Amino acid sequence: MPEILIQYEAEILSSIGETFIMVGVSILAAILLGLPVGTFLFLLRKGQVLENRFAFSALNLLVNIIRSFPFLLLVVFLIPFTRFVIGTAIGTAAATVPLAIIAIAHYSRLVEQALLDVPKGVMEAAISMGASVKEIIVKFLYVEARSGLVLGLTTSIISFISYSTIMGVVGGGGIGDFAIRYGYQQFKTDLMIYMIIIMVILVQLIQFTGTTVSRLIDKR
Amino acid sequence: MTVQVFKAIIISIVITLHLRERGFFLIKLHDVSKSFGRFQAIKSVSLTIDKGEIHGIIGASGAGKSTLLRLMNLLEIPDDGEVEINGQNLTNLSSKDLRQERKSIGMIFQHFNLVANKTVYENVAVSLQLASFPRKERKSRVMTCLEFVGLETFCGKYPAQLSGGEKQRVAIARALANSPRVLLCDEPTSSLDPNTTAEILGVLEDVNKKLGVTIVIVSHEMEVIKGICNRVTVLANGEIYDTVLIEPSRIQMMDNSPRYFVEQLTEGRVIADA
Ligand SMILES: Nc1ncnc2c1ncn2[C@@H]1O[C@H](COP(=O)(O)OP(=O)(O)OP(=O)(O)O)[C@@H](O)[C@H]1O
Ligand SMILES: [Mg+2]
Repeated sequence: MPEILIQYEAEILSSIGETFIMVGVSILAAILLGLPVGTFLFLLRKGQVLENRFAFSALNLLVNIIRSFPFLLLVVFLIPFTRFVIGTAIGTAAATVPLAIIAIAHYSRLVEQALLDVPKGVMEAAISMGASVKEIIVKFLYVEARSGLVLGLTTSIISFISYSTIMGVVGGGGIGDFAIRYGYQQFKTDLMIYMIIIMVILVQLIQFTGTTVSRLIDKR
Repeated sequence: MTVQVFKAIIISIVITLHLRERGFFLIKLHDVSKSFGRFQAIKSVSLTIDKGEIHGIIGASGAGKSTLLRLMNLLEIPDDGEVEINGQNLTNLSSKDLRQERKSIGMIFQHFNLVANKTVYENVAVSLQLASFPRKERKSRVMTCLEFVGLETFCGKYPAQLSGGEKQRVAIARALANSPRVLLCDEPTSSLDPNTTAEILGVLEDVNKKLGVTIVIVSHEMEVIKGICNRVTVLANGEIYDTVLIEPSRIQMMDNSPRYFVEQLTEGRVIADA
């Protein structure tokens, strides 16, 4: 192993840990909240089982607003909210708040898209069989859209990694922050390149896993 | 004394008439209308479908056939009028009760509408799950339904691995799982070739004869309608043009040999082998 990596081993490991925490919380938020939000974005549409023009427009607008903020501004804008939730606006825990919010908005759009790919006829069959809204979602929609949902999550996770790299501004740490502070600002270009290599490997791994899983569960 | 006997007779006559009325028809549409925006797709249609019949609905594209069929299980909510199935008025049911009723109304479609990520077995089993069919008896019920359509060996296959005819058989098995009283069919053979069409019509005939399920079948293909229907409603511009009684004449399987195809193409006159 190159000497410089050994020299900074502790810092590198802890920055990798911070990245995992930030991305991990984003993934949890995406699944626990982004998935339901995306499902509602789909079901509230015209012609769908929960059709509601007003609720759809409101939710749609909210997601759009969050997504149209330049992420750095969103982080700053959310500082009071973060302080309210976490007690401080600085540090890795505080960094997870804006990340979770962008994660929900990001993944919900991809969920909506994946659900739009489910043939209308399948929904119709479900309704004609007397399925309730919950049954339509769980037994039909998610089953039929599962490979799209996995691919969307893969794309989202990779974006979360990218978003997490700028959390240094609020002391969030992480690989990206480490690369900038040590590699760029202290002119240790080799260190910066190693960090980039770690990120590339991480992204490759995630994409490979996501693509493989989505292919395996796709029987269409 | 005589007055009481007289009363009893009157009452029993009234009851018999009432029961007969209830027992005679299965589906009754009463002055049903449906518009999409300003366009009136179904114009005050009244129609009764008898228990046990195979009822055809035929008409040009856009006549409102699918809409009429979809009104029968309230996939389309009527703007006006009433829909009654088996003595139950569907139009004023709560959504929970409507879902319950739909479990005993089977439906099949032109494009089969199977869940592509579920196996043949799972596709049939899901309708039992929805109806909270006793867990222990599910497997044997699914197998019974698949045997009925001749696909008992296809359990583990996915729809993508099946032919069109096989997919429609799975859809029929799925629709039959909850022992429906009626099977609504929207162009069930329109994406199938003539032989497969005849096969599927054979299955539908079995469903009607052996299981006593009333069938409503929408089609624009005259052979299909002539092939299995007892009574046919002709629809035009959202209105009933006529209702006719017919004698079903089981449609012939086509000869599938290449020689037959050539003969048909050339009407027996071979001009030249290209
Ligand atoms: N959801 C809808 N929104 C708007 N218009 C509709 C809708 N469904 C049906 N229509 C219109 O209502 C009319 C009747 O449609 P329907 O599907 O019942 O016709 P059909 O007789 O089944 O025709 P086809 O043989 O082409 O299937 C058509 O003109 C169609 O454009
Ligand atoms: Mg139609």
